[in-house]
Amino acid sequence: MHNSDKVLLKLDNLTTGYSLSRSKKVALHQNINCKVGKGELIALLGPNGAGKSTLLKALLGIIPSLGGNIYYKGENLHEMSKKEIATLVSVVLTDKIEDRYLTSYDIVGTGRYPYGSFSGKLTDIDKEKISNAFRLVDAKELIARVFYSLSDGEKQKVLLARAIAQDTPLIFLDEPTAFIDSPGKVIIMNLINDLVLVHNKTILLTTHDTELALEYASKLWLLGKENYFEEGNPKTMVEEGMINKLFVRKGIVFNAKSRRFEKV
Amino acid sequence: MIHNTLHKLSTFTHFCKNKMISRKHTSLIFVLLPILIVLLFLLNIWYGSINISWFDVWDTLLLNETVNNTSEIIILQYRLPQAITALSVGIGLSIAGLLLQTTFTNPLAGPSVLGISAGASLGVALVVLLGGIGGIKFVGTSVLFGDMAIVLASFTGALVVLTIIVFVSRKVGNAVTVLIIGIMIGYLVSSVVGTLQFFSSSEDLHAFILWGLGSFSKTTIAQSISIFIVTIAISLVTILFIKPLNAFLLGNQYALSSGFNIKLMQSVFILISGFLIALGTAFTGPIAFIGLAVPHIARTIFRTSNHTVLLPAVMLIGAALTLGCNLVSKLPGYDASLPINAVTSMVGAPIVIWVIIKGRSMSNA
Repeated sequence: MHNSDKVLLKLDNLTTGYSLSRSKKVALHQNINCKVGKGELIALLGPNGAGKSTLLKALLGIIPSLGGNIYYKGENLHEMSKKEIATLVSVVLTDKIEDRYLTSYDIVGTGRYPYGSFSGKLTDIDKEKISNAFRLVDAKELIARVFYSLSDGEKQKVLLARAIAQDTPLIFLDEPTAFIDSPGKVIIMNLINDLVLVHNKTILLTTHDTELALEYASKLWLLGKENYFEEGNPKTMVEEGMINKLFVRKGIVFNAKSRRFEKV
Repeated sequence: MIHNTLHKLSTFTHFCKNKMISRKHTSLIFVLLPILIVLLFLLNIWYGSINISWFDVWDTLLLNETVNNTSEIIILQYRLPQAITALSVGIGLSIAGLLLQTTFTNPLAGPSVLGISAGASLGVALVVLLGGIGGIKFVGTSVLFGDMAIVLASFTGALVVLTIIVFVSRKVGNAVTVLIIGIMIGYLVSSVVGTLQFFSSSEDLHAFILWGLGSFSKTTIAQSISIFIVTIAISLVTILFIKPLNAFLLGNQYALSSGFNIKLMQSVFILISGFLIALGTAFTGPIAFIGLAVPHIARTIFRTSNHTVLLPAVMLIGAALTLGCNLVSKLPGYDASLPINAVTSMVGAPIVIWVIIKGRSMSNA
């Protein structure tokens, strides 16, 4: 009992990939087994095309997995309603939001939709959670702004606020630092780190900012081609040269000491 | 430097505009629109090729006994059903347009693009044209039977295409693919209609083209009231879906992450809008541009995409615009009025162009 309380997410013999047609399926990773516990900050690393987004989308039920099972707090994803899933995990995706009139407040408000009634009317609790979320990401001045007019960094903060307002134990982030300038990346990563350390969230993120991710992550999931999946402690994985093996690129190596990619 | 200042100034005024439109203006417009609708409704009843006094309009609508008999007949049998139909179909098509634009996150989605209107016209073509070819005379033999046959045919045609679209959307899931398939079905159906036209007699062709021009004046008072009640009932149902509609604005995957069953919701929205389009088209023929233009007008006036505001806004603006167009179509003062589609296109197309250009310059500012 005690154990299942702490395990938020369990991947049980999970096979991910995509279907080309009804009979033709391409498996990217087979039989993944691992657990996500409370308070972890997991960075999902891997080269382009390794299947990071595919795994993330399979975990969310956006695309079907090709085999195995996914359990949230011991409950099978297949047997959960969309609404139930939405109360356990929230997301920040790379999808562009094209609407030109929605304000940041409207966007964050949709984070409260898994709760409450039919009508779009927000309750006092909803409003409190929303303004709290804006406060946590330090973006109170963006509340009334039109989302479409914001910079990429500001948009990312608002979307993070939406995930926070959704009030879920788990948050999945697909490349939260992409398209953001360097100080912006640090700001976002610090916010994410605070969510884990101060606000008890469990976070799984994909990123190409490997060096930055290593500073913050409490655990790594390495995803490579040809069915390669490995989880472990960032320090050990760096020291054992696993990062270097993951990103094979001619003339470039990952230096375990400086924790940076360098030219040979 | 100057450019920079200008830029700051424009973002500032933009910001002010945004603030100003908030709450106070929104509620003011929501008070003014119903007044405008009542005004346009009364004008539609008062104005026409035969002069009727305001007293007669008043007395007829209040069911007073003192009315001039001819005026009463003109109002109750012609102008009142026409006005109620225009109002109802305006509401129905506008809601349908809004739902489709939100479902497909595509500003150019509208009643005519999913092939639903085309399906309706195929139904009518089969009855009017094929009936003629096969020697069965639907039109002309009995006015009542002929009209009801057209209504049923149009409704069936629209619902058949609608069923195909819903089926496709449940299978495919990708909104843009569904949209493209809808457009292709539209072309396919139109080509069948074209072929039927080629083989039909000029008399039948005339009847079909007349239907295709669109008109609010083909309904009886009982029919118009039924259309009104059904339209309002369905429109009220959409209020239950404000949350998923808003969530769809962020795209399918975010909508899913807000806890909504995307494919199910997509089918529901297509079904509701398709039913509204089928209902309207059956009685009035295809009406152009209302469904496409009204949601854009509503978003521009209220500066929001939030369906809590947009749904009622679209209903009111749709009713007002359609009544306005119907009034304009009567203006020449001849016995017959202009085809309603000529008017709605003349009004609707420039509005859509204007809104799109304005939207572009705004986002570039």
